Amino acid sequence: MSVDVPVIETDRLILRGPRLEDLDQLCGFYAEERSKFVGGPLDRGEVWRLLLRSAGHWQLRGYGVWHVTLRDSGALIGHAGILHHIEWPEPELGYGIFAAHEGKGLAHEAAEAARDAAARLFGLTRLISLVDPLNDRSRALALRLGAHHEGEEEIFGQTLHVYRHPEQRGAA
Amino acid sequence: MIVPNAPQLETERLILRGPDAGDAEAMIAFLLDRERADGFGGYDHRGDAWRWFALNVGHWHLRGYGYFTIEMKDTGKPAGISGIWNPEGWPEPEIGWVVFEGYEGRGIAREAAERVRRYAYEDLGLKTLTSNIVPGNTRSIALAERMGASYERTYQNHHMGEDLLYRHPGPDEVLG
Repeated sequence: MSVDVPVIETDRLILRGPRLEDLDQLCGFYAEERSKFVGGPLDRGEVWRLLLRSAGHWQLRGYGVWHVTLRDSGALIGHAGILHHIEWPEPELGYGIFAAHEGKGLAHEAAEAARDAAARLFGLTRLISLVDPLNDRSRALALRLGAHHEGEEEIFGQTLHVYRHPEQRGAA
Repeated sequence: MIVPNAPQLETERLILRGPDAGDAEAMIAFLLDRERADGFGGYDHRGDAWRWFALNVGHWHLRGYGYFTIEMKDTGKPAGISGIWNPEGWPEPEIGWVVFEGYEGRGIAREAAERVRRYAYEDLGLKTLTSNIVPGNTRSIALAERMGASYERTYQNHHMGEDLLYRHPGPDEVLG
């Protein structure tokens, strides 16, 4: 169950497993055009399926995507974590923050915490991020995180840029 | 280790257990077989089929119930799935079943689905159950009727389009 997903804390954020009660807020995010970079826009039924997939991914892979919440209010503001769908070249550090919470470094804080946890908890020390060539914000964040452009991958008939993150320290 | 909170159920020939990563390929093969899977919801791409399997696993985590993997006692191999399915937008929880290629015509779906129905009434405490079947899926309709379910109405399903709703006998009758 989602309670088994490790909880990660940062100064301003708590990263936790996906929950059923996140559905409404996720629907808001995936209703927006800007969600096109992460598979959207999606209607309510599709968001429901995405939410279940996120939970199932944790069991099938042993790692997955955290839902990012604000420490002070508990509000859901986005996601960050490791995606490894079957046609993915390798596990990917993915992230997305709702529009209302951009510009405060929260995406950076969440992605960095997820990357660190992936290395410590799951031994995933050299992750990639797959970035849509048109997604300037995502590329900027990948670069701020120290990742560099390594090549291209063809997924869903679309060319994505592969950014390689610097090696992280794994479990001792 | 994250495991679903699925109980293990047994029948004469079958074990019903929570889905795990080892079931993925059998499920994907079924979902990509359009002829076989279309009444259930098939896919053309392996990645989409894998995502369905992941959401099937996630259903257990977020709802607390879902599709069991049907495992043959004699070989340990997955023969299909049967369970309680309740996605957003569904009219109410339904009992569903699927038998993989090579396992049809042996009463496996019925043996599994009847055990699942008992579990839904006894363990989940459900008071009623439906099966949503696309028109033309004669095998599923025949099984629903053999299980004592009867046609109630036709409705528009978010994913499947026109869908027939069959109502199963209630707990009193089934557990009687």
